[in-house]
Amino acid sequence: MSRRNELKSRIEAMIERFDQGEQVDPAHRDELIEDLATWQASGIPEYGRLQRDIDWPAALPTDVFRFRRIAAHPVEEDVRVFLSSGTTSSERSVHAYRDLRLYDLAARAAARRMLFPDVGEIRLVILAPHEDDAPESSLEYMLTRFAEWFGDECTWAWRHGQLDLDRLTDVLRRAESSGAPIALLGTSFAFVHAEDSLGPRRFELAPGSRVMQTGGYKGRSRAVDPEVLLEAIGDRYGIPAPFIINEFGATELSSQFYETTLREGVDGPPGPRRLWVPPWVRATPVDPDTLRPVAGDTVGILRIDDTANLDSVCCIQTADLAKRVEEGIVVLGRAQGATPRGCSLAADEAMGAG
Amino acid sequence: MLGAGRALRETSTAERAAWLAEAAAELRRSARQAVQELSDATGLSVPMVDWAARTTLDTIDESGLLDLAARARPGSEHASAPISMLALVLAGNVFTASVRSVFVALLVGAPVLVKASSKELTFPAMTKDALRTVNPTLGAAMDTVTFRGGDVGCEAALVERAEAVSVYGSDETIAAMASRVGRDSLIAHGHGVSVAYCGAGALTDARRGETIARLSLDICAYDQRGCLSPQLVFVETSTKQPAEDFAVHLAEQGLAPMERTLPRGPLPASVGAEQAQWRGVAEVEGTLIRGRSYGIAVRSAESIRWSPGYRNVTVVPVRTIEEAFDAMIPMGASLKCVGADPASISDVRALLGENLTLNAHSCPIGSMQTPALDAPADGFPIWHGLLSP
Repeated sequence: MSRRNELKSRIEAMIERFDQGEQVDPAHRDELIEDLATWQASGIPEYGRLQRDIDWPAALPTDVFRFRRIAAHPVEEDVRVFLSSGTTSSERSVHAYRDLRLYDLAARAAARRMLFPDVGEIRLVILAPHEDDAPESSLEYMLTRFAEWFGDECTWAWRHGQLDLDRLTDVLRRAESSGAPIALLGTSFAFVHAEDSLGPRRFELAPGSRVMQTGGYKGRSRAVDPEVLLEAIGDRYGIPAPFIINEFGATELSSQFYETTLREGVDGPPGPRRLWVPPWVRATPVDPDTLRPVAGDTVGILRIDDTANLDSVCCIQTADLAKRVEEGIVVLGRAQGATPRGCSLAADEAMGAG
Repeated sequence: MLGAGRALRETSTAERAAWLAEAAAELRRSARQAVQELSDATGLSVPMVDWAARTTLDTIDESGLLDLAARARPGSEHASAPISMLALVLAGNVFTASVRSVFVALLVGAPVLVKASSKELTFPAMTKDALRTVNPTLGAAMDTVTFRGGDVGCEAALVERAEAVSVYGSDETIAAMASRVGRDSLIAHGHGVSVAYCGAGALTDARRGETIARLSLDICAYDQRGCLSPQLVFVETSTKQPAEDFAVHLAEQGLAPMERTLPRGPLPASVGAEQAQWRGVAEVEGTLIRGRSYGIAVRSAESIRWSPGYRNVTVVPVRTIEEAFDAMIPMGASLKCVGADPASISDVRALLGENLTLNAHSCPIGSMQTPALDAPADGFPIWHGLLSP
């Protein structure tokens, strides 16, 4: 067995054990991260150039995915290439996959644990394009898999590049009538568009209905404070706040984090709203200067070591600010892209922040 | 404020120059006594605060002020009248930047109402106190306000009585202010970056030490947070290797010693997030030179990546000075200052004169962050907008 396949088997086994209800030993995960990083550094020159810290492997900044192909395999072996949103090539991260087995395992296990812990199948309403219309999007890929894995019926309320309000209204009215719970899944900006467009139309969805929203706005809609959007979605669809959760993912990652409130609403006990980190992933806020872990709940920049990133790089340094809350993570927002900082920018901050 | 302005205009230029020189000295004393408070307010280290206050205020003297006033109002004091009031939206990143704007306005007889960030009100408040200590008429002609950004009512009140509004901001901010006060009343300072140019002569063994000492000061001053901070250092070399060697020398002989003499302030987490990305890309490219509080990347002029400042600088090898200017031209009005080694400064000035899209100020390296009181701003004299035609 090749080193790659041996590592893949270990990752598969870890995720599958978790999905079957077993505990994952963090020490076992950390050992796997070490082995994975060592193998990746030997096969991906860009990663190999990063200087290893004494205590743990180097983390590759997400920006590198915008400038370089980061893969341990040749381009002809790509089975899928995910791109982040953006309008120019330099704004778009590229994540090439040699196979999607680990992505699928991770996505299914995480969603089953945090988004669908109480249901095997449920009617899905998706406020995003179908995978066929956006083959470069990892989110659309994941949502389409969700339709296959968890959907007893699925409606894409999206047509010709925008939210299909008539279809959305129709499917929500039918759901109200049927009394069966549904899951509304989509991007935050799609939910904002729905808020801006649905006017007085409100819905009383059945208990057990839920919302998963993800991603930022990136200029596609007005930006809305998360608390305000949470309340608006609750009011609009008649869904209690714990059943409205955020998913945190990124093109550079193969695993997703989910807010804890739905799971805790089902299983209890309730805790603060925070992101659950799958046990095959290590998420660590780090000091911006030293890139070492910060203490306690100090705000740091989020490093994510995702073992499901087999054929790219496991250890990723994001530009997200984050802090620990209990055993989870709260993401506080993304730092602006590297832009010229000067008097004017600081004055904007002065005008904006007072 | 308008009444205070009338009283100020009844004083003579000579009186105002004398008072302002005295106020600069008083402000220097206050800053020295409150250096820790200023450090806390600005996020700059104590030695950096002291350096900034010293280099800004020690150069203000009565004769220089009189000379500036004479050039602003040639002929006679009555040839042009000062505006009734200036509203000034201050930048928070370079705390001493207010000195030029406030002192020059008061010198020509225009009162100033300053909008400061609530986080960095310390130095503007000290300025006000210094002016009042020296002379009540002078002190009454400068005041500070602070309020939360986006407060439309407060912003309207800030500019309501002002005859001119000086604002540092993005295109959006400036457009928003222009719609409120009109373009004619706006003294706009848009996004800004600066660069340095070192000709081949400045890289020789004989000259390299001096070049590095000067560049290091420009890079480290105000922790590279200002629009006069060099983000890029163009070095004239026929191949990349000498640029990489120069970057190593810059790190070892310039930026590393600065960690002891003018240490960097604490790194905000949001800047740190950008820094990690910027440095990481350079490391992947194999060109990062990193110290405890600095980073240097070597990159070609075709692929410039702006750093988040805080002592992260790019060395850019160019074959000729014209190649450096080819990279500067797209920066347009955003390019605020071009620093150059002494042997190259005349060539830089000539090329700036030829390129109409650029209105950057030029100066020798080592002085990029310490502009003279009368240095132009955004292509205009410092008194631009302060006098009625």
